[in-house]
Amino acid sequence: MRQPRLREVKAVSSGHAAGGQLGRNSNPRLPASPSDPRILAASLRAAVGTPRAGFGFPGGCPGSRGLSWAHAIMLARGLSRGWRGICAAALTGAPFSQVPSQAPRGLHCSVAAPSSGSSLVPRPPEPPRQLAKPPAPHEELFRLAPGGARDRASFVQAVQNFGQHNVHKRGHVDFIYLALRKMRDYGVERDLAVYNLLLDVFPKEVFLPRNVFQKIFIHYPRQQECGLAVLEQMESHGVMPNKETEFLLLQIFGRKSYPMLKFVRMKLWFTRFKNVNPFPVPRDLPTDPVDLATLGLRRIEPDLSAKVTIYQMASSRDSTGTADPTEQHIVGIQSPGQQAALARHSPARPVFVEGPFSLWLRDKCVYYHILRADLEPPEEREVEEIPEEWNLYYPMQLDLKYGRSAWDDYEFDIDEVEEGPVFAICMAGAHDQATLAKWIQGLQETNPALAQIPVIFRLTASTGELLASSSGLEEPCPPPAQEEEEEEDKTQRQQQGQS
Amino acid sequence: MALVHKLLNGTYILSKCLKPSVASCPFLSTRFADYCSSSLQKPVATPGKASAQRNSAGGLQGDHQREVALDVTSPEEKPEVSFDKAIRDEIKEHFWRLKDEIVNHWIGPEGRPLQEVIMEQARVVWQFRGKEDLDKWIVTSDKTIGGRSEVFLKMGKNNQSALLYGTLSSAAPQDGENSQSGYCAMISRVPRGAFDRKKSYDWSQFNTLYLRVRGDGRPWMVNIREDTDFIQKSNQMYSYFMFTRGGPYWQEVKVTAQIPFSKFFFSNQGRIRDAQFQLLLDKISSIGFTLADKVDGPFFLEIDFIGVFADPAHTEEFAYENSPVLNPRLFK
Repeated sequence: MRQPRLREVKAVSSGHAAGGQLGRNSNPRLPASPSDPRILAASLRAAVGTPRAGFGFPGGCPGSRGLSWAHAIMLARGLSRGWRGICAAALTGAPFSQVPSQAPRGLHCSVAAPSSGSSLVPRPPEPPRQLAKPPAPHEELFRLAPGGARDRASFVQAVQNFGQHNVHKRGHVDFIYLALRKMRDYGVERDLAVYNLLLDVFPKEVFLPRNVFQKIFIHYPRQQECGLAVLEQMESHGVMPNKETEFLLLQIFGRKSYPMLKFVRMKLWFTRFKNVNPFPVPRDLPTDPVDLATLGLRRIEPDLSAKVTIYQMASSRDSTGTADPTEQHIVGIQSPGQQAALARHSPARPVFVEGPFSLWLRDKCVYYHILRADLEPPEEREVEEIPEEWNLYYPMQLDLKYGRSAWDDYEFDIDEVEEGPVFAICMAGAHDQATLAKWIQGLQETNPALAQIPVIFRLTASTGELLASSSGLEEPCPPPAQEEEEEEDKTQRQQQGQS
Repeated sequence: MALVHKLLNGTYILSKCLKPSVASCPFLSTRFADYCSSSLQKPVATPGKASAQRNSAGGLQGDHQREVALDVTSPEEKPEVSFDKAIRDEIKEHFWRLKDEIVNHWIGPEGRPLQEVIMEQARVVWQFRGKEDLDKWIVTSDKTIGGRSEVFLKMGKNNQSALLYGTLSSAAPQDGENSQSGYCAMISRVPRGAFDRKKSYDWSQFNTLYLRVRGDGRPWMVNIREDTDFIQKSNQMYSYFMFTRGGPYWQEVKVTAQIPFSKFFFSNQGRIRDAQFQLLLDKISSIGFTLADKVDGPFFLEIDFIGVFADPAHTEEFAYENSPVLNPRLFK
């Protein structure tokens, strides 16, 4: 068990690993400061890859020669002053109650010769360690008061509590990493003020390099990595830092530090890519499903003159609050062009209700159905003839051929995929045929021609998983054919019953 | 055959060339999988590792492993495997290709008359009209680093488009190395000539990339890699965003599915670099689409074709200028 511990020592004592990563501006991979040996050991355990071997915490079991020798090495090569204090405390405390069963065996047999082979032999996987996880340091600050909720106020309170009880801000790096992990639970991951508050936890002006040697080497690498981690989380959530962040970073790390460099890069690239999305989705999506459906439909249908119709509101909202499976919201959209096309559609050819297809709005997925017809075969396509000169003000048809030669040809030499026309789109709470039949009935009010046209429902699996645009059509061909006929009869009967 | 292959390419580090484990067999069977993938689906575990050794797998886009999940065309027929015959066929095919190349050189660039190539304003580079078109693409996901995303590529409706679909999962692999995960990518294979020499695309007369796609509203990233013999440049690529609108209509509207090449920014190993330079179009190796928007769930992207054209209205050369704060050396 000692060999891995030596490796740990070497890995820990070299700050070069940190330097290389900071220089590449990548994710800080080594975790918090070594002021907490538990975190260090856990991380190195992960880095070594074997969950059991190499768990050589020096304060595990006092009294054997091998332990004290390794312990002495650790003390001698300790990275920070706090290491010694913590080690001394841990020697007496022995916080690892789960270790002693393994540690003595390994320590005793590894004194004389390197018996690392036995410790590196892969052991059977241990049972899932839900209970055995050691609590992260400062986790008690995030413990909820009885009756308290996880919201911004309690998060801010926890951060402020850290400073109050700990004047010297011991373990601030661990605390900041922990707070970064907890942000999502408290729902403050996109709050710039909270990030600034978290950066405020760093002691000011302590980490500024003062002479040329400190400027050459990365001064206080763990703290710079921690600052980088805060900025990386801001970046991944799309939060733009402001002047206060800049001032804080200047005070804490100085102008030539890596967090400051990352801040400059964020300022540059965020402003460049702020409006790069031609179809922007608002940050705060509406929670009401009808509003969300309206937003989605407006996004799908590029025609601005299209009308959104709410055929049915989810009735459960008013009465009980629990989702009523029979009454789901149905919202549809149709543009005047589509209405005209549907009116022109010949009743001899059926229209299909296809779906559900998925649409993602930021991180919410909604499903929509479309009403479309198949492409008409070329021989049946009627060319619309515009009678000449019925409009005397301007010509209805322009046949301008300005002599474009081969060098003005911007067409691609490929036949584009042609698909049948889409007549209407809808988003409904449920994906079953009954709900969609209600949509069709609602459509019939504005499109009386729909009453004569047979409607076939081509619904793929409604489990909400991924659905390709037509994957459901090709595979189960024979069975739905019968279903389609039945549905066709049903809808025809419905239409006949209505009309 | 493998030695000739190595000599002609010349991109291998000497130590790798001389490794005895990289014998002729894995290389042959690698090429096997490359050409005969439509008819013969061999389990390509070891050749995958060999190819991973060749292309240094670093960064998100550096993986060219063989993860093409195509439908096996005919599981009933079992084609007989005879190495001698296969080797002979392959050698014949390579010589045929060599002959084509020499003959085409007399006709014009890439076998088309020079007049046609010069006057061309729009060119279709990849289209999806059949299964053989899917063979030109490789699909990868973060399964290579231990993640749980899945991605598949198949032909779409009526064999008229390609459908890239799957599930994205941003659960990080618990290997202590990666704290983030969740990406899926579709990368085009590097075009090969006779004897597997690397060829590249020359798009220097075009200035816009045109994509006819239909997505589900998720933001994708288009990555272009240049053809280079330098290993140090193997993780460099030029990227830009492709925002899909979602919906049943094909997205061919201007501004979106047309991405001018001047908008591509330079990145190395997955990080945007400070020193930006424009994408040079004379030696393009491959293009790829990546989805990594940190949202778990299913996705799909339907692609009709990918083309390049010369937009006369677009006069911008490069969209990003270097800043003296980040690059003082460039401004001395």
